[in-house]
Amino acid sequence: MSEIIFELKDVWFSYLGKFSALCGVDLTIAKGQKICVIGANGSGKSTLLHILDGLIFVDYGSVKFLGKELKEKSFGDENFSKDFRRSVGLVFQNPDVQLFCPTVKEDILFGPLQLGIDKLEIESRFEKLVRFLDIRHLLDRSPHQLSVGEKRKVAVTSTLIMNPDVLILDEPTDGLDPLTTRHIIDLLLEENENGKTIITSTHDLHIVQEISDCVYVFSQEKKIISSGSPDKILEDTKLLQDNNLIHIHRHKHDQTTHIHPHQHLEHHS
Amino acid sequence: MKKNNFIERSISGAVSFLKESIFADEYASKNGFLQSLDPRIKTLTFLMFIMAILFTKSIAILLCLYAACLVLALFSKINIGFFLKRTWIFIPLFSLFIAIPALFSIFTPGQTILTINIIGAKLIITRQGLSSASLFVTRVVTSVSFAVLLNVTTRHFELLRVLRIFKVPQIFVMTLGMCYRYIYLFLEIVENTYLAIKSRVGSRLHYKKGQEIVAWNISSLWQRSYYLNEAVYNAMLSRGYSGEPVLLNDFKIKSKDWAWLFSITLFFVIIILGGKII
Repeated sequence: MSEIIFELKDVWFSYLGKFSALCGVDLTIAKGQKICVIGANGSGKSTLLHILDGLIFVDYGSVKFLGKELKEKSFGDENFSKDFRRSVGLVFQNPDVQLFCPTVKEDILFGPLQLGIDKLEIESRFEKLVRFLDIRHLLDRSPHQLSVGEKRKVAVTSTLIMNPDVLILDEPTDGLDPLTTRHIIDLLLEENENGKTIITSTHDLHIVQEISDCVYVFSQEKKIISSGSPDKILEDTKLLQDNNLIHIHRHKHDQTTHIHPHQHLEHHS
Repeated sequence: MKKNNFIERSISGAVSFLKESIFADEYASKNGFLQSLDPRIKTLTFLMFIMAILFTKSIAILLCLYAACLVLALFSKINIGFFLKRTWIFIPLFSLFIAIPALFSIFTPGQTILTINIIGAKLIITRQGLSSASLFVTRVVTSVSFAVLLNVTTRHFELLRVLRIFKVPQIFVMTLGMCYRYIYLFLEIVENTYLAIKSRVGSRLHYKKGQEIVAWNISSLWQRSYYLNEAVYNAMLSRGYSGEPVLLNDFKIKSKDWAWLFSITLFFVIIILGGKII
């Protein structure tokens, strides 16, 4: 059995003590796994990712990272905090939140500079990523001048440059054109092949099969209603329909009108 | 109807003015002389220019410095019409209103050069008054021109980073940078919210309703900025921020920068010594 990275047991969380966001979540993530968390809007996916990144802390239950309980006071220990931030990187859902520096270059370098990574190492990672994602022309621009796709690419770069062992992505392909989506998926697959654990939250079912070994489905009751291989989950039309992940759709293929769940996986393969 | 337009004009006018004045990088990205200098050296030498302007008591030297400023603007591929417009907008604000009273004998007694009669009241312009008012106006014109030239030939983020050579705390520099970054986002939100309202209510809107909408907009913007503040802080924490930011410093000083610094320092020393001798 691979090393367990995250272990969540009966996790409950609410905002301001009254708006429930997670209600009894159990989850285990092993090293090198590709995990996908799917669910409709407001089902608690982003909250879960923020808990995994040590940004918010559970009201009840336990979250363990490499066997160590993840609590707010753990981050008071500077060494633990730095090690954790080096190991776990989060790409936020809204790139405007993540890109807060005056220029793209400063934004990309912000993380490694805070973590005190060696300058030569930073330079080499920076060059590699800039070349791979083809963003050299954006470096001196301000994030507000970028398109949504460019912002997302830069947000992913600013997390990847920290070279985390666990990469958490909140709706990484939301609002992206197909080519940019492809670039980002390729990048994630390559990172996974290099041994990184990838945790993605999405409601874009087109990408689920590629970017996951295991899928967790969140219900509107803010808990995991089902989990399993992507094939098993994506074949369960009733489960997806009940949880607002697909809907009935009417359209044409070769002059024949189909009515089927809007899932596209079989019809557009 | 006019009152409606007033709200619309105010919002779109304020937004476009802010966008133009804060975010125009057009001249700073040109391949001119000042743009090619290291921003730290450039700021330092411009401070020397401004100090020289403050120390000198000679209008002739001030005019030479003003001419030098215009030449520098030309070599930096700045459109002179744009530059003059940008600088002279501020001049009446800063100087003319202050300088005009100094012309008259009430404030600056001395040798009469002109007497004006206004409804029986005698206003006397004195030579000393004229000389001190001209010195003041020329000084303001020249220093404002240098400040504007530095501003238009340097990108805002570079100017922010330059603050660090003056030992401004990193947290202050970073906060300023973030303000710059998010002002634009909020400007866009204001603009889009106004367009969204306009698309739903049409153009006929009672001005009182318009005022209500503006007030609601302000409170909604406040809430969004509060949310953003928390979210951005989390994004900083997530990338290892622990209270003391470490910021990028990739400036490189070339031999051209040293030569420029040396010449301006020499010039500054001459002006200071010359001023003492005179």
